[in-house]
Amino acid sequence: MTRRMQGGLALALLALAVAVVASAAVAAGTATPGVTSKTITIGGTFPLTGPAQLYGVIPKAENAYFQYVNTHGGVNGRKIVFKYYDDQYNPANTVPLTHKLVQQDHVFAVYGSLGTAPILATRDYLNGLRIPQVLVATGDSYWGSQYKKYPWTIGFQPDYPGESRVYGQFIRNKIPQAKIGVLMQNDAYGQNYYNGLLQGLGAAKSKIVDVEKYDATETDVSSQVVKLKAAGANVFALFALPTQTIDALVVTTKIGWHPTTFINNVSSSPLFMGLAQKSGADVQGDITATYVYDVWNNPNTAVAKQYKSILAKYDAGADPLDANNLYGVANAWTMVKVLSLAGKTPTRAGLMRALTHMNWKNPYLYPGIVMKTTPTERYPIDQQILEQYKGASWKPFGHLFGNAR
Amino acid sequence: MRPRAASWFGAAAAAAAAVAIALLPLTLSDYHRSQGALVAVYFVAILALDIVTGYTGQISIGHGAFMAVGGYTTAILLHHHWWTSATGALHTIWTLPAAALVGFGAGLVVGLPALRFHGVYLALTTFAVALAVPQLAKNYSHFTGGTQGLSLPAHNGLWLYRLGWIVAGVAFVFAWLLLRGRTGRAFRAIRDSEVAAASSGVTLALYKTLAFGISAAMAAVAGSVYVLVNNFVNPDVFGLTLSLYVLIGAVVGGLGSLWGVLAGAAFVQLLPIGLTSGPLASSEDVPVIFGAVVIAVMAALPLGAAGFVQTALRFASRTRQSSTTP
Repeated sequence: MTRRMQGGLALALLALAVAVVASAAVAAGTATPGVTSKTITIGGTFPLTGPAQLYGVIPKAENAYFQYVNTHGGVNGRKIVFKYYDDQYNPANTVPLTHKLVQQDHVFAVYGSLGTAPILATRDYLNGLRIPQVLVATGDSYWGSQYKKYPWTIGFQPDYPGESRVYGQFIRNKIPQAKIGVLMQNDAYGQNYYNGLLQGLGAAKSKIVDVEKYDATETDVSSQVVKLKAAGANVFALFALPTQTIDALVVTTKIGWHPTTFINNVSSSPLFMGLAQKSGADVQGDITATYVYDVWNNPNTAVAKQYKSILAKYDAGADPLDANNLYGVANAWTMVKVLSLAGKTPTRAGLMRALTHMNWKNPYLYPGIVMKTTPTERYPIDQQILEQYKGASWKPFGHLFGNAR
Repeated sequence: MRPRAASWFGAAAAAAAAVAIALLPLTLSDYHRSQGALVAVYFVAILALDIVTGYTGQISIGHGAFMAVGGYTTAILLHHHWWTSATGALHTIWTLPAAALVGFGAGLVVGLPALRFHGVYLALTTFAVALAVPQLAKNYSHFTGGTQGLSLPAHNGLWLYRLGWIVAGVAFVFAWLLLRGRTGRAFRAIRDSEVAAASSGVTLALYKTLAFGISAAMAAVAGSVYVLVNNFVNPDVFGLTLSLYVLIGAVVGGLGSLWGVLAGAAFVQLLPIGLTSGPLASSEDVPVIFGAVVIAVMAALPLGAAGFVQTALRFASRTRQSSTTP
């Protein structure tokens, strides 16, 4: 046998092998994945490490609430199993981890996954497979506004443009001499906030003197802050992640810049403000918006005590003064509620039905807020209140405002 | 071992490997099929690196950049709907040769410094390419989606597994045909001694840039499949780690051997997954353990998996000969 013939043989065998691959049968699917008579398995992706790791406490607080519910009978007799993976806020990691949740862990729903870019990277995949992607931890307006194309995706918190629109209106009405400097993340998350600010400012948007951007992986934003000061800004609109926000607040004070600072809700946890202060930042008078229960100024109410005891029992070491823990418990409360309404044996369609027919109060949200959705109005929380930093905590002022669109 | 027997052994091993790879997905879950597709991606990328580094002796630690070129070619063509229609699958596949062409061009350009630089200097040049290409994607975010990236339609694990391994099979046969003939001899001659190669009539400039071009084209196709498996691309997908993993795979498998490539690909794709699913390691420990295993493997098998098999076969045939000789 010549070498050439042997090569031919090898090629023929390879072709045969390819034919076998091509004819392989696809395994058939079964009943609702993730639901057994005893458990409901859900899962999500979160930045446990990396540039957004200050959000890493959220899934632990959520799991604490699920454990609390499990030890009190679970959801219609089923215990919640919550699997979460570290995507480092990087969509390049979110995608394979979400595949893993779906294909290997067979989750009933993807729950609570964090970050605008990570959700944008996975919603095509999940909606294509009709897998719920629910109560995602990002306030971008897409989750509510693009429901026709992505009916299986829904958010939780107030949308970012609505929040920054109120900052814009506040600046327009209350700070006539404003010269506005903006620091924003260079992606859809930053852009969402920026768009809302422009809408709120209206004609006053000419008062923006400089806009600086950073990439999510960049943690040092001092050069951007220096440029904003040099541009003569006296109002600082800060639309960043916690790490960059803390850095910006510290640098602002260090370079002797004293603007009126607006900090977006997702970066204004009292814990972060404390960290910034410890590093020398002056945060007195800064303004933000919130929608969670005020455990800081009302530490002895039944809700505050319940929240702290759940954390103490099921999430040892968690700091109850970090707003992200409260966020996690409030979000998990909502998940338990909709799971209980998703059918005696929950189905994915039943879950989406419950998520689009909310009309209730959540004890862990700011008093007066009603969680309300319809199949065409998919913004679960649509009210917030402004707060100003005074002394050692945020003090709410004014009254609840709606994120009218 | 006599050459003819070695060649028989090779053909039989190729057939056995192909049949095993073909039958494997029947026993796998959809998730593990897509992991299998990623092994195919590494197989093609490592094969590509082997051509330029193992056979031609030109060190590259920037093959992640060529994968990025291919991956972005596929992603941009598909995402901007330039190449999609009702028959989407066919168009998806046609982005692969397009990626190969773009990759070939990129490889020729990067190959130019190889005419001047040798050894560690060339390695540094390719390293710079690996760092720079993902940054380019950040700058032209209108096309590339910037750090936020581009999403693509998802495919099931079986389709991806088939695509990955058919591409791997074609790449393997192509590399085998290329390397056994005149071109392969020229490559090896350059690796062993550039002076001797030139004086034997091998045009150094032609064959060096050709090696880079072909290698980059293959890596680009690997990048395309990678992007299709993940149905997503952003600059971090093609970070420096990817280039290093491809290099580690090539070294662990054994440079200058087509057989080692399979072992190298399985090593870099499956070991980290095996470590995370094991009881001992959390995700933060994986890089450390992975590094330790690489060092251990290199200490035990300095010529990689292929070198180990060759030594073992040589040893086996020698003992057989000595036992038959009176």
